[in-house]
Amino acid sequence: MKKFLILAIMMVFIAGTTSAKKPKQENIRYDIECAGNGSQGTYLVKVWVYTKSSKLTSEVLKKYAVHGVIFKGYAGKTNCAQQKPLAQSPVLESERADFFNAFFNIDKAYSKYATEVQGSTERIKVGKEYKYGAVVSVSKDLLRKDLEAAGIIRGLSGGF
Amino acid sequence: MKKLILIFATVAICLAAQAQEARAKKPTLMVIPSEAWCFNHGYTEKMDNQGTEVITPNYKVAFQTNSELNLVISKIGELMTERGFPLKDMNLEIKNMERINAMNRTMTSKTSGSDIVESSLDMLKRQANPDIILELDYTINQQGPKKSVSYNIRGLDSYSNKQVAASSNTGAPSFSADAPTLLQEAVLSNIDNFNSQLQMHFDDLFANGREVTIGIQVFSNSAVDLETEFDGHELNEIISEWLYQNTVQHRFNEMNSSENFMFFEQVRIPLFNEKGRPEDTKSFVQGLQKFLKAAPYNITSKVDQRGLGQAFLIIGDK
Repeated sequence: MKKFLILAIMMVFIAGTTSAKKPKQENIRYDIECAGNGSQGTYLVKVWVYTKSSKLTSEVLKKYAVHGVIFKGYAGKTNCAQQKPLAQSPVLESERADFFNAFFNIDKAYSKYATEVQGSTERIKVGKEYKYGAVVSVSKDLLRKDLEAAGIIRGLSGGF
Repeated sequence: MKKLILIFATVAICLAAQAQEARAKKPTLMVIPSEAWCFNHGYTEKMDNQGTEVITPNYKVAFQTNSELNLVISKIGELMTERGFPLKDMNLEIKNMERINAMNRTMTSKTSGSDIVESSLDMLKRQANPDIILELDYTINQQGPKKSVSYNIRGLDSYSNKQVAASSNTGAPSFSADAPTLLQEAVLSNIDNFNSQLQMHFDDLFANGREVTIGIQVFSNSAVDLETEFDGHELNEIISEWLYQNTVQHRFNEMNSSENFMFFEQVRIPLFNEKGRPEDTKSFVQGLQKFLKAAPYNITSKVDQRGLGQAFLIIGDK
């Protein structure tokens, strides 16, 4: 009986320590801004990702560039036109959570719409966190067409 | 069993046909250079309007001689086609109208040699009528060796004469890029904003109906006017009630009225009639015409469409 008790306590302890070792899901913030005029069918954006991690892959930067084009859009600045998000509703992400979870986290389909401009990555230490930046070209026409085909956003000629 | 299959097939075909019909008429779009652009570039002509000299834009010469204008319009056309909205080409419309005019002038009947009857009103109505006009204006700015483009595009709803979309900006100055490249850049960087506003307008159409204006007038030989009473109600009240019952969310504004005329603005007509077919201003007013023709009113009337978004019902005669 004692053996069982010791075994049970050990198992609980091991489970506790392994779960404590699990990395916490960090709530990453990001900004998106215009980086110039992209070629036809693309937006050229600069994405800034804020994280405590000292390493960040270009995939993460591409992910947030696509996320920004779909849900945030970006403000205009001198010689750069403002662009609205592709999403027509501010609650689209939560309404179609299944689709976007697969799109960004499971299938990672976002990757095919983004290309990082070589040599554009920057890393700046801001307080306790890092600010990573990169210029990303997002194929917005293709992205829009695919989202329309999947029924996530409505096309301009939808209903006619 | 065969009968059952036949019935199912017939029902499926009917449903498919109904689904096809239940699509609203797709608005037609046409790019027109703004009057300011025509005046700035010297594409004008003088016309004599009953003794008064009037200067009007000369679109034909603009299209024939300005390659930049053609480039910008074809770029907009290319991008709009990608979004499912091929544009009506104004240059071709002008040529087409000239061709029809020339043919009408020479067309005679085989036996009697009589020509085609066409009033000046008919000729006026035969002009290109896009649902939405994309009014285009641009300026190429030169500062020393630097060039930039200021670009402005406005979407004007022909039904309500309201601006429904607009986008404008001045592009980055460049030492090396030529004007056509800068113009293409301007089109590319503005088209998405413009289209997202256009989408909002279409959403509004689907939710609240098309916005039109409707007028009621009386022929001088009419036996009734708008104050004639039927069962204790004046005709103008009856017409207002019909509009209340038949507009989307009962939305319309009665602007002015007398015993001889009524004028309604912001009349929201449904995109489809009760049969599921696309509705326009004329067919909507024809509904009122039929209502007044029936007992107890028995009023004869004429529907006169004046542009896409305006129709008049003239009561008392045809």
